Amino acid sequence: MERSEGQGLFDVYEVFVQKSQGEFHTHVGSVVASSPDHALYMARENFLRREPGVNIWVVPREHVHATPYEETDFFAREMDRKYREVSGYSENGRLWRMFREKALSIEEIAKALEVQELQKRKSRKEK
Amino acid sequence: MSIDQREREFMERIHRGEKIEATDWMPDEYRMLLLKLIHMHAVSEIMGAYPEKEWVPKAPSLRRKLGIMAKVQDEVGHGQLLLRVAEDLAAPLGKTREDLVSDVIHGKVKFHNVFHMETKSWADAGVIGWLVDGAAIINQVALLDTSYGPYARVLKRICAEESFHMQHGENIILALAMGTEEQREMLQDALNRWWESLIFFFGPQHVTKAAQRMLDYKIRTKTNEELRQQFLNKYVPRIRSIGLTIPDPKLRYDEKEKKWIYSEPDWEKFSRIVRDNQGPKSQERIALRRFAHVEQRWVREAMMRSRDKLAVV
Repeated sequence: MERSEGQGLFDVYEVFVQKSQGEFHTHVGSVVASSPDHALYMARENFLRREPGVNIWVVPREHVHATPYEETDFFAREMDRKYREVSGYSENGRLWRMFREKALSIEEIAKALEVQELQKRKSRKEK
Repeated sequence: MSIDQREREFMERIHRGEKIEATDWMPDEYRMLLLKLIHMHAVSEIMGAYPEKEWVPKAPSLRRKLGIMAKVQDEVGHGQLLLRVAEDLAAPLGKTREDLVSDVIHGKVKFHNVFHMETKSWADAGVIGWLVDGAAIINQVALLDTSYGPYARVLKRICAEESFHMQHGENIILALAMGTEEQREMLQDALNRWWESLIFFFGPQHVTKAAQRMLDYKIRTKTNEELRQQFLNKYVPRIRSIGLTIPDPKLRYDEKEKKWIYSEPDWEKFSRIVRDNQGPKSQERIALRRFAHVEQRWVREAMMRSRDKLAVV
């Protein structure tokens, strides 16, 4: 069926851009287009004129299922969730000190691995 | 729930600093004010590409040509993003994208006074990038904390790109300011041409009824005059630092009142330009817009037919 322009010719597509393969696709906005192919081009021209990107998803708006903003109960935090969080275990530092040790964090482990990797590369170069 | 109660709850959300979304209930007045603002913003971005595009073929070097081309593309891109936001606001009112786009052709939506003016020399292209965009950035940065979520998000992207426009414009200006006597004169001429338009750009000094309602709804948080004062604060010293003279003998900073005193622009003249599209370049640019929209309608329609055919198979 042909549609006249007055009825709103193109469809709305929501656009998700993946900046690098190490990251998830992120919603950046929407475009109007005549087809998914067209939407991909429009998305590139609208959202990636400067920023890098490795992948784009376009999704017809009506295919997105969302929670209504008014239903704040959906996101209710009725209980203390400290037990799920790092901050809920801050006593570890004090407990470790009793054993003459320090608390350890993920960041420190990552840092240590990084340093190890650098040293490995350095020694390889020296050989 | 009664309308009164809904409005009360809506205002409570606004006062709590919550963002309103396209699918949320909102008072008609809020929708209309937003739509008017964003529609005009979108159309101004698109019409703003016209004065600059005139300088793409005439840019003095390949680098300048690429730079100004990128800017023209950004302006149209910003128009696209803003039209999306306007379109979602307009849908419940039965207005389509086609209405929003063709309103400018039929003189049913206004665009900023500066885009009705002539760009006589390359220095005008520079002054647009430096001062017109500078003024627009002050406006847009002030809107970043607007109560309407979709507008705030799009403005974030727009502002990031505007910062390139600012650097681009300043680079052109600085090159001219360090150039020959003739180039410096060209720059001064351009400033003389644009100054009054720039002062008008921020709008009337008094807070109109609509502007007050926009402040109440936190669509805007700053008045026209506050923004104009910001602009003068930021730009007057810089304009003077490169040896230019601002064509306003009354211009001075009043230490006691802590504000800039300036000659008022010809409000009536510029209002007429914006309201009736009676500026030096209004009709020519609207004709170009009409040409682009109407003459390419067959392409858009062909794309739809091709999609519908594929869907049948």
